[in-house]
Amino acid sequence: MAERVLVAMSGGVDSSVAAAELVAQGHEVIGATMKLFCYGDSVPDRPCCSLDSINDARDVCRMLGVPHYVLNLEDRFSRDVIRNFVDEYSRGRTPIPCVRCNSFTKFRDLLAHADALGCSAIATGHYALAREGRLYRGSDPAKDQSYFLWGIDRAVVARMLTPVGTLTKAQTREHARRLGLVTADKPESVEICFVPDDDYVRVLADHLPADAPALTPGPLVTVAGEPLGMHEGFARYTIGQRKGLPGGGGAARYVVAIRPERREVVVGGLEDLQGHALRLQELNWLAEPLALGSRCLVQIRYRAAAVPATVVAAGAAEYALALATPVRAITPGQSGVLYAADGQVLGGGVIA
Amino acid sequence: MSAAHTYLDHAASTPVRPEVLEAMLPYLGGTFGNPSSEHWHGRAARGGLEQARREVAQALGVTPAEVYFTSGGTEADNLAILGRAEAARATGAVPIVAVAATEHKAVLAAAHTVAARGGVERLLPVDPQGQLEAEALHEALEARPAVVSAMWVNNETGVIHPLARLAEACAARGITFHSDLVQGFGKLPLNFGALPIGLATISGHKLGAPKGIGALLVRRGVALSPLVVGGSQQRGVRPGTENIAGAVGLGRAAALAVAEQAAELARLTVLRARLLGGLRAAVPDLLLTGGDIETAPHIVSVMVPGAETGPLLMLLDQAGVSASGGSACATGAVEPSHVLSAMGIPAAQAKGVLRLSLGRETTGEDIARVIALLPQVVERARGATGALSHG
Repeated sequence: MAERVLVAMSGGVDSSVAAAELVAQGHEVIGATMKLFCYGDSVPDRPCCSLDSINDARDVCRMLGVPHYVLNLEDRFSRDVIRNFVDEYSRGRTPIPCVRCNSFTKFRDLLAHADALGCSAIATGHYALAREGRLYRGSDPAKDQSYFLWGIDRAVVARMLTPVGTLTKAQTREHARRLGLVTADKPESVEICFVPDDDYVRVLADHLPADAPALTPGPLVTVAGEPLGMHEGFARYTIGQRKGLPGGGGAARYVVAIRPERREVVVGGLEDLQGHALRLQELNWLAEPLALGSRCLVQIRYRAAAVPATVVAAGAAEYALALATPVRAITPGQSGVLYAADGQVLGGGVIA
Repeated sequence: MSAAHTYLDHAASTPVRPEVLEAMLPYLGGTFGNPSSEHWHGRAARGGLEQARREVAQALGVTPAEVYFTSGGTEADNLAILGRAEAARATGAVPIVAVAATEHKAVLAAAHTVAARGGVERLLPVDPQGQLEAEALHEALEARPAVVSAMWVNNETGVIHPLARLAEACAARGITFHSDLVQGFGKLPLNFGALPIGLATISGHKLGAPKGIGALLVRRGVALSPLVVGGSQQRGVRPGTENIAGAVGLGRAAALAVAEQAAELARLTVLRARLLGGLRAAVPDLLLTGGDIETAPHIVSVMVPGAETGPLLMLLDQAGVSASGGSACATGAVEPSHVLSAMGIPAAQAKGVLRLSLGRETTGEDIARVIALLPQVVERARGATGALSHG
């Protein structure tokens, strides 16, 4: 059935093809690009969110013969995403701003605009599948982006279309070329959109006072508590990191914990990185909440395999899971996403 | 689509008038020579160019030699500010420029550039009605700036600056005054030639001429350094082979605008009052940008409490009305307005600004249509905004 659909368009190839597919299916499409922040003059040309990207999205819409609008979300993005990003690093954690943006900024705003425009559905270029109110992994295992979507409102999923979720990236590009879309051969954006040159420490430095504990020196210690020297600020480290640690000559060393209250970065071996249990907070459910004792699969990082787990504590504010096999580098601030065996996203939370 | 669409964004651009297009066509066809060439083809082209210069000069009451064609309003504004600053620097002085805080970006950015090049920029504050504060102006004049710039009609709000008073205040101290006349020219009566205004900007596409043509009026005795260098066209102040077709279009449009100004003012004043009355009745808590002061007859700037400009414009467009939030940004995104912020309007109110601007082809039906649409558009836009502030 033809619907009026508001399509979130980043100016990249995936959302361009999503819009084109929906037009081809006979839907009445309206394109929208969300302007999340402004680089000003510092970074003139970036693959995402720049003026060029907005123009690309606009060109694609013009080619498709559909209207296109730019939604200015700079205030909300700054408050809900960038501020949280800085706070999380200040607490010794490693946030995923894309999850936060999807959960709090993009989809809610998109839905509000869809309602205002009388659109029954929204669509994005995510590699994930929304079907009958449920969200599943995208068909291309190499591109599946469902990991980033656990935090969106269930009401959003019910009205969401995911036209490229059944495609592989190669198929998407093929579609784009066939349609002659200007975005067909655009490079993938892999960095965090508001972090120029992947230099997140610079973003933190821009937002924090000069004497912020996260960016000032502190002790590097072993798991046993022996001092190894000093580091230049714990926000420069993440769990599992090897780079930037003093060489020991022996076995490889990794960051295994960060203790912000003492400014300590704890260093250990591979064995100290393995975890058997997981605590999740800020939970969001895209299916009925799992009961105590139930089983699921949990994925703790974007590029990690999901492992079988059992719910061992089920509170309103916190869930605990026991993992069937140990996983490497469980990192506070990252997402723990819960899946069913068929790839359905059941829900998720932020790793405590 | 366009037949069903109502265009209420004349402050952004206007359609080329048929008479203007007709006057231009020979210069896009057979009369193609370089006006600097001495041969028959060159003379024919030069004839058109000089006729255009005379028409612009006559429309403003200046001499043809005081008209410099540019690529548009932005270049003319830049030339006025940067050209004066560079001329001051050439005499060994540190260039100082003083510009109203509510100026068009073409003036503001030029003033920033003066500062970036080692000069001094002074932003002249305005009161909540958008009027320059007299004391700050006098203080700025004491510093003997190379140029003071204050626009006639503000492009976002329609607020009118008292041109004669500002020009005389500057002239009394021997300071060059520049005014961006882009929004006011042809809309309000103006005896430009009689005023002590050293530099003034007009733009073609706000008058029914095409985009890509404008002019800077440079009164005799005002020294100006060029921004681009090359040949000796236009006395070397603005070299480069002239855009003759554009100039001819601007000349025709300027002549028509002046001839029709009084009648258009009367007609637009009635339409504007009807629009404003209708909007206020449709949205009782509507706020008028700048309050109840007199504004240009073609610009209505209002603020819708509880709504944001983005959704308002999107919904109006979907309903078949082209409007604006103020000045159009290259991204199309609605940015916070420097004009409203300079007027001391709280950011929360400024978020809901809506500009409807009328033009020659605007009819009473257009006005009735937008008034009828507005309640639903506002309700839906408020819904979109409300859903988020609670989210």
